[in-house]
Amino acid sequence: MSISWKRTYAVALKDMKEVTRNLFILSTLITPFLFALIFGREADVPLVIHFMIINITFATVTCFVQMALLAEEKERKTLRSLMLSPASGTEIMLGKSAVASAITLLTLVICLQLTGYMPDAPVIYAGLVLSLLFYLLLGMILALFTKSLIEASVLVMPVIFLLGMGNLFFELVEDYSFAFLLEYLPNFQLEYLAAAAGNGESGLLHLGGVAAWTVAAAGCALILYRKRTYLDQ
Amino acid sequence: MQSRAFPLKLRVSNQQKGEYAMIDVTHVYKYFREETALQDLDVHVGKGEIYGFLGPSGSGKTTTIHLLTGQMKPDIGSVTVMGKTGDQLKQPDFLQRIGVMTEATGLYQRLSVMDNLKLAADLYGVKAPEKRINELLALTGLTEASRKRADKLSKGMMQRVLLIRALLHEPELLFLDEPTAALDPASTKKIHEALLEQKENGVTIFLTTHDMEEAEALCDRVAFLHHGSIQKSGVPKELRREHADGSISVELQDGRRYRLIQDEKHADRLAGWMKTGSIAAIQTNVPTLGDIFIEVTGRELV
Repeated sequence: MSISWKRTYAVALKDMKEVTRNLFILSTLITPFLFALIFGREADVPLVIHFMIINITFATVTCFVQMALLAEEKERKTLRSLMLSPASGTEIMLGKSAVASAITLLTLVICLQLTGYMPDAPVIYAGLVLSLLFYLLLGMILALFTKSLIEASVLVMPVIFLLGMGNLFFELVEDYSFAFLLEYLPNFQLEYLAAAAGNGESGLLHLGGVAAWTVAAAGCALILYRKRTYLDQ
Repeated sequence: MQSRAFPLKLRVSNQQKGEYAMIDVTHVYKYFREETALQDLDVHVGKGEIYGFLGPSGSGKTTTIHLLTGQMKPDIGSVTVMGKTGDQLKQPDFLQRIGVMTEATGLYQRLSVMDNLKLAADLYGVKAPEKRINELLALTGLTEASRKRADKLSKGMMQRVLLIRALLHEPELLFLDEPTAALDPASTKKIHEALLEQKENGVTIFLTTHDMEEAEALCDRVAFLHHGSIQKSGVPKELRREHADGSISVELQDGRRYRLIQDEKHADRLAGWMKTGSIAAIQTNVPTLGDIFIEVTGRELV
C-alpha cells in the first residue's frame, strides 16, 4: 500500500484552514488552557493535576477535533467527494490526524509551560505518544456514530469526564466495588506510568497498558471502517 | 415483503451496445431492506456518448450512479465500468479516470472557490492546476467568483463549481446526478455548454435528470426509469418519431385550432382551408420525451 504524501498534505492543509475558521472547534481549546491557568498558579502542583490537564487535552482537543473534522465532513456532504477521489482512506485519515496532532502538541506545550511540568523520562514521552494515537483512533471510531458537529460535541462528553477528568474524581468513587476497573483506563495508566518513572521504576507495565488500549482502538477502527466501505452498509 | 426469487429467465437487452462499452450493467437488482430499488437493469453506454437516465424522484437514478461509482454493490447482476468491476471501482486508478457530480458531493463552505478547486487539483494530481482551474472558471463564467467563500455562492454558482471540480482532472467518464436541478436558465445554459464541449473532447457522460428538455438538448440516448427498471430507451428523435401519431395541428386565422390525422378525408379539409387562405399556422405533432414518459409509465416525470 503506497501513500501519496502530496494528497495527505492536501487534506491536512484543507483541514487546518477549516479548523482555524471554525470557532466552535477552536472554543474547545479553552478547556485545557483554563485548567492549566487555574491549577498552574499553585506552587507545588501534584502529578495527578498535571496528568489531568494532559488527559483533558487529549480528550477535548485530540479526540474532539478528530471527531469534529469527520462529523462536519459528513454533515456538509464533503466526505463523499473525498472518498470518490483517488485519495485513499489512509491518506485521508493521516491528513486529518496530522491536524489534530499538531493542535494537540501546541496545546500541550503551552499548558505544560503554564503548570511548570516537564516529563523527564523517555518512557513518559512514549506513553504520551501512544496516548495521542489512542485518542486519535477513539475520535475516528466515535465519528462513525455522529452525523453532525453538534452530535460530536455531545458524544465527546463522556470521554471528557471519564478519560479527561477521571483522575480528578477518582477519590469520590474509590470506595465503590467497580472503582478498581477505572484504574485500567488509559488516562490512569498514563498517570501511573509517570508516577513509576518519577520513583525510579521502569513504568513498562503501565506503558504496556496504554499500548494495549491503543492496539485495541486500532483494531476496532480498522474493523469498523472496513465494514462501512459501501454506502448501504 | 416483495419476492426476491432469482430471475430464471434471461432478458435480452434491447439496448444498443457501443463498439466499446464504457458502462456495462447486466441484469442488476438492488434491494434496500423491503424495497426493490432496481430490478433487472440493463445499461450499455459506448465511448463518447451522453447517456441520460430519465425518471421521477425515487425511481432509482441515484442508486444507479452509486453502483456505477463503486459506492454500492449490486445484490444480483454485474456492473462493469471501463472494464473494472467490484472492488476495482474503489481503486485510485479507476477513481482518477472518472468525475462525479452529485448532490452528495458538497464544497467546503469556509474555503474559497479557488481553495476548494486547488484541493481537488492536488487530490487528483492535476498538472499546472492554477491554469486548468482558471480555464474552467472562464468556461463556466465564474472567474470573478474565484475568491468567494463557498457559503456565499448562489445555487447556480455552486453547481458550476461542483462541475468544474468533476472536470479538473480531465476524466474519461463523467457521472452527473441532476446537474441542473433547481437552477436558473442562465446557469443551466452554461452547464450545458460545458458538457457539450466535454463531449466534443471525447468524454463519455452518464447523467440523470427529470428535465426532459435537458435530456433532449444533451443526450445521444435516453432511458426511462420507473420503479427501478427501464421502461423504454433509445435515441430521443427516434423515440419521438416512434410515438408520434402522425397528426398535425392547424391554427386558423380566426383563432380556431384543429388536430387532424393525415388521411384523405382530412386532406380535403386542409386543402379547402389552404384555398381560402384561412391557415395561420400548421405543425406536425411530435410528442416530447415527457409525453412519451407519461404514455409508457402512466405517470409524469416530475
